[in-house]
Amino acid sequence: MATTELADPIPWLVLLPLAWATAAFVLGPGRGGRLAVAGLAVQAALALALAAEVLEAGPRRYAVGGWAAPLGIELLADGLAAFMLATTAAVALPVAVYARGYFRAVSRSDAHPKGATWFWPLTGYLVAALDVLFLAADLFNLYVGLELLGLAAVGLTALTGERAAVAAALRYLLASLLGSGAYLMGVALVYGAYGTVSLATLAPLIEPLPAVALAAGLMAAGLALKTALFPLHFWLPPAHGGAASPVSALLSALVVKASFYLLLRLWFGIYAPLTTAAAAQLLGALGAAAVVWGSVQALRQERLKMLVAYSTVAQLGYLFLVFPLATGTGPAAAAAAWGGALLQVLAHGLAKAAMFAAAGAMVLAAGRDAVAGLGGVGARLPLSLFAFALAGVTLMGLPPSGGFTAKWLLLRAALASGQWWWAAVLVVGGLLAAAYVFRVLRQAFLPVEAASTGGVPRSLEFAALALALGGVLLGLFGERPLALLGVG
Amino acid sequence: MKKALQWTVAALCALLAAALTVALLALPGAPVRLAAEVEAQLPASGVAHPVTAVLLNFRGYDTLLEVAVLLLALLGMLAAGAGPRALAVPPDPLLAVPPDPLLAGLARTLAPLMLLVAGYLLWAGAHRPGGAFQAGAVLAAAAVLLRLAGLLPAWARPGRRLRLAWAAGFALFLLAAAGGLAAGALLRYPPDWAGALILAIEAGLTFSLGLILAGLFLAGPEAPRGGGGA
Repeated sequence: MATTELADPIPWLVLLPLAWATAAFVLGPGRGGRLAVAGLAVQAALALALAAEVLEAGPRRYAVGGWAAPLGIELLADGLAAFMLATTAAVALPVAVYARGYFRAVSRSDAHPKGATWFWPLTGYLVAALDVLFLAADLFNLYVGLELLGLAAVGLTALTGERAAVAAALRYLLASLLGSGAYLMGVALVYGAYGTVSLATLAPLIEPLPAVALAAGLMAAGLALKTALFPLHFWLPPAHGGAASPVSALLSALVVKASFYLLLRLWFGIYAPLTTAAAAQLLGALGAAAVVWGSVQALRQERLKMLVAYSTVAQLGYLFLVFPLATGTGPAAAAAAWGGALLQVLAHGLAKAAMFAAAGAMVLAAGRDAVAGLGGVGARLPLSLFAFALAGVTLMGLPPSGGFTAKWLLLRAALASGQWWWAAVLVVGGLLAAAYVFRVLRQAFLPVEAASTGGVPRSLEFAALALALGGVLLGLFGERPLALLGVG
Repeated sequence: MKKALQWTVAALCALLAAALTVALLALPGAPVRLAAEVEAQLPASGVAHPVTAVLLNFRGYDTLLEVAVLLLALLGMLAAGAGPRALAVPPDPLLAVPPDPLLAGLARTLAPLMLLVAGYLLWAGAHRPGGAFQAGAVLAAAAVLLRLAGLLPAWARPGRRLRLAWAAGFALFLLAAAGGLAAGALLRYPPDWAGALILAIEAGLTFSLGLILAGLFLAGPEAPRGGGGA
């Protein structure tokens, strides 16, 4: 009995990253990379073990401290939680390998801001916060997870210590605090109305009181701000585009997905009795606007990393199509919409991490962060450019990538529920994504315009390639993740 | 443009205030009463004060993560200031003059008393309002007072020993959380040990939280002392 409890993946998914983050902090500036890679490898194994268990035995609750809800805090590992935990590990492990090479490379060059100082402890707390959030089943525990995540993300954004990065981090901090403040106000209202914050206890009690409606609105607005939903995306491009490349990868691939996950949980969970078709259409419309606006802005950027950051604004838009496609539609359409949106979470997570990783390598080799300065990169860093292009295939939604499966499922949901207008968004978004990806590829294949400034460590290129391949292969091996999402 | 934005924000705030008023006036009696349940389980918690029982036992998981949040706030500050072009800190007017002998004398008298108060608050937490967060805040206040009186230098370059002290409270709590696995669940305290474990965790937290809160004030680039080149 005791041995099975000691080997239970649920508590270790939280304990492990907290432990190595703290150890890395004590070790000191720039230290802890090896510890982080080892910790994330174990975490990936734990996440896979939990996913396999949930797939086989169904969802499981875990009472922290042995105190059942509503007195204590319960965790919930269902299919969605296990899927997000696996996504976190799948993205974070290659990014950590990449980061070790990246910070070694920038420490040798004078042209780039350093920023390795506190990367490892901050990343550890960031990953721990994600695991906390995905396992949480309690409104206040979710708030604590949001706070931990927001602070870690802001610290990582400021890491290079450059004036622009610190300014972007401060703006990010204010947006993040406003978002969690709105969320917390909602938690207070719900607690005032029902006397509990446990989702399982709340679910049968919730009814459309004015306080609950206000709480739902405040929480949705706060989480939309944290997910950078158009037009609340103003803080994202400078923060994601200005951070060190491994940080950009983590922020774009994982952090913004956490607040989306929470919105999804609440919308289709405790707030299901309150949701209306009109509110769902509004979220979908903002998502559609994000797809168009983000892509057009990406086309216009001078800097490569800003282009990739605006592409995140666009790709996040697709996620919000799940609300109109799965609210009040038939079970077949709703299941397709859920599968599509969450596969997009994973596919975009892998592809965007790959794209920022490849962009970071190319910027390092080219000596400056400019789309126009990429000439000759195709010849010098063929692997990185290949990774960038593969990631682009996923973002465009071309077969056989995970992005294709995701968009195909969303398309099916749109047609099954008779909402053809969302199908148009998918097509236009794919074409615009092709335009900004090819803009980069075209530049990279131009002949060398300046003297080359040397190569980059191979581990950078391979990590980017692994992430990009993951995004593409997801399209071929998508059944198991989709089956997992169907649990619970 | 700026004016319009200000009016929009003001209108939104007024709207929120009105909505809150309406919502709160229509609030029904809460169907779940946690206070009764806390009261019923209090004997098993290891402490006699319900707030401490909730913070350190029933919802100890949230508290563990909140301590990580505080550590992370400090880390974020170090990260933002650690770059090559750390933001220049304007000279602190309080430090621009030599320390006032009266202030220094007062600080010397108060600091040991504050230490004593912190110890009392920590101990009191088991049966009345108090505990690690309050005690840590008093400790931090003592450090800030000593700093303002010119008796304590800034922590310009936090070394490993200071980092260890910052992290120790959280690490101890984390260890206790992991130790709970042997008793059946994360953060589960065996009932016989719960009181002693909570006191040990709170003592560690008082020490580290005091240093973390003080660090938010004292750590980072040293503010130039004195007026012109003094």
